[in-house]
Amino acid sequence: MRSVHPGQPSADPMLLARRSPLRTFEESRFFSFTLLLPILIFFVALNVIPTLWMIGMSFYNYSLMSPAPPTFLGVDNFVKIYNDSDLWSAFGRTFVFVVLAVGLETTLGVLLGFLFWGSSNMPGRRLALTLLFVPMVVTPVASGLFWRLIYEPTFGVANYLLQQLSGQKIDFLTNIDWAFGAVLFVDIWMWTPFMILMTLAALGSVPKAELEAAEVDRLTAWQRLWHVIWPHGKFILMLGILLRTIDAYKTTDLVFLMTNGGPGNITELIALKLYRYAFASLNIGFSSALAVILLLIAIAFTSIYLWVLHLRRYREGV
Amino acid sequence: MQPSRTRTTVYYSLLWLVALLFFLPVFWILMASFKTPDDILAVPPRFLFQPTVDNIVSMLTRPNTIPYFINSLFLSILSVTLALAVSFLAAYTLSRYKFRATNFLMFLILSTRMVPAAALVVPIFQMYNAFQWRNQFGVLMLYTMFSIPFSLWILKGFIDGVSQRYDETGFVNGASRLHVMFRVVLPQVRPGLIAAFIFNLIFVWNEFLLNFILGGPGTQMIPYALAVGLTDSGGNVDWAFVASLSTGYVLLPTLMIFFFQKYLLVGMTFGTVRGEV
Repeated sequence: MRSVHPGQPSADPMLLARRSPLRTFEESRFFSFTLLLPILIFFVALNVIPTLWMIGMSFYNYSLMSPAPPTFLGVDNFVKIYNDSDLWSAFGRTFVFVVLAVGLETTLGVLLGFLFWGSSNMPGRRLALTLLFVPMVVTPVASGLFWRLIYEPTFGVANYLLQQLSGQKIDFLTNIDWAFGAVLFVDIWMWTPFMILMTLAALGSVPKAELEAAEVDRLTAWQRLWHVIWPHGKFILMLGILLRTIDAYKTTDLVFLMTNGGPGNITELIALKLYRYAFASLNIGFSSALAVILLLIAIAFTSIYLWVLHLRRYREGV
Repeated sequence: MQPSRTRTTVYYSLLWLVALLFFLPVFWILMASFKTPDDILAVPPRFLFQPTVDNIVSMLTRPNTIPYFINSLFLSILSVTLALAVSFLAAYTLSRYKFRATNFLMFLILSTRMVPAAALVVPIFQMYNAFQWRNQFGVLMLYTMFSIPFSLWILKGFIDGVSQRYDETGFVNGASRLHVMFRVVLPQVRPGLIAAFIFNLIFVWNEFLLNFILGGPGTQMIPYALAVGLTDSGGNVDWAFVASLSTGYVLLPTLMIFFFQKYLLVGMTFGTVRGEV
């Protein structure tokens, strides 16, 4: 039906039909913007506007507790945060939490990752890896509750084992000396598998040929690690550490469910603190100022993340 | 030199042991969901017991359980699907039309996921109250928004990996831009779509804080039910309920990582690291 002879002008009805308004629009320069429109709408409506509103609020004295209209304060909220020793200690706790959690998860994850390297012929590998990776896909609310049951002082299994070993019981989550460690332990349980995953990925990125060459050249294990594995694997490992850092810094649900910041404020991490200011004391101005600071810290992390990523692309010439 | 059979067996047993150790806490809860409340509270803890399905039956017959499960499924599947559609259009555009602001835009969108949810929840709470958006529509839009950054990153990475030659061949043969997008490029980025789908699904499925604050009837999900419904009328934690509900809830993510294990790495790193483990 639609045989088009070379000499025939484009009066062919099929060709005319092809140049529909849609086709013309698709080729116009506005088309690309149209494709971006949905994402921009989402981004502006649910992110840019709330963020700007939040930045605006951070300069006001605005509390939902008082009927008084918001009054402009300038940078007073930020000055108040700067002078708030309670917040400084929450930042300090968060810093300690992030450093310990990420440090221990990385150490353990790298060691276990090396252990799992070379397990490709293991029987039931897929099931084993699924069991291994389950902790990181369980909702933090549920894992917080799991561990509350395990840590429970009267009938919890951890205390039962502890009693068998040492003859005493510890209420881990309300004990000042133990609560922080108990929460940290759960975080390590949840996220060490992630570092194992990243280590396996890092090891997988080392070209087979180079490993074989290293074997032929009889490199020692240490030389192999330093000259062959590390140059290839370090970027993926760095990415893993950064992602974990960002995530650990956001920890809210876990402490909320396990200890609710207690005992005292031993486990009150900064994200939970922010939540408290906003929804317990309903102090919108002050909590917005704090949120702005957390946002800036997050942007700093993201920049480092992307910098590492670009470094990797650059090195690998991707 | 072949490693001996005994060595291999010991090695594999060791790996299994590590995997089982990590799974043990989850297994303990799984067991608790089959115990009678008396068995759960027994001192010393019972490792052997008469299994019962009473907890699971009573959990499922609570008036809110099934609706909460439906909310969880509905919100997570729909929001992630919507996010994938929006992200695919944007990822294709950012990959093929070279805008000068592309990197900056990608950065901005990713940075939204690096912020603690508690930071954004105040303005969104106020905004949602003002517009009366604290309904299914509002929460759905919010989760879509939260699923977009990872989807965009994963898909852009994959589309960048599809050679422009394919597009050009399509155009030369008279295909339209939309045809090229959906019939030529889309089928080639299927792994990216699956990875983005699975990981955002798990994220929305597990999300708690926003749901806790913004949720209402029709939008509350299981983590909310777990956090709120955990005490019984006497004020004690109802462990039988918590155990059976959370066991049911972690089933979906667990099945996901079993069946889609090869997408795990892509998903957990927003597509910046490819490959399998």
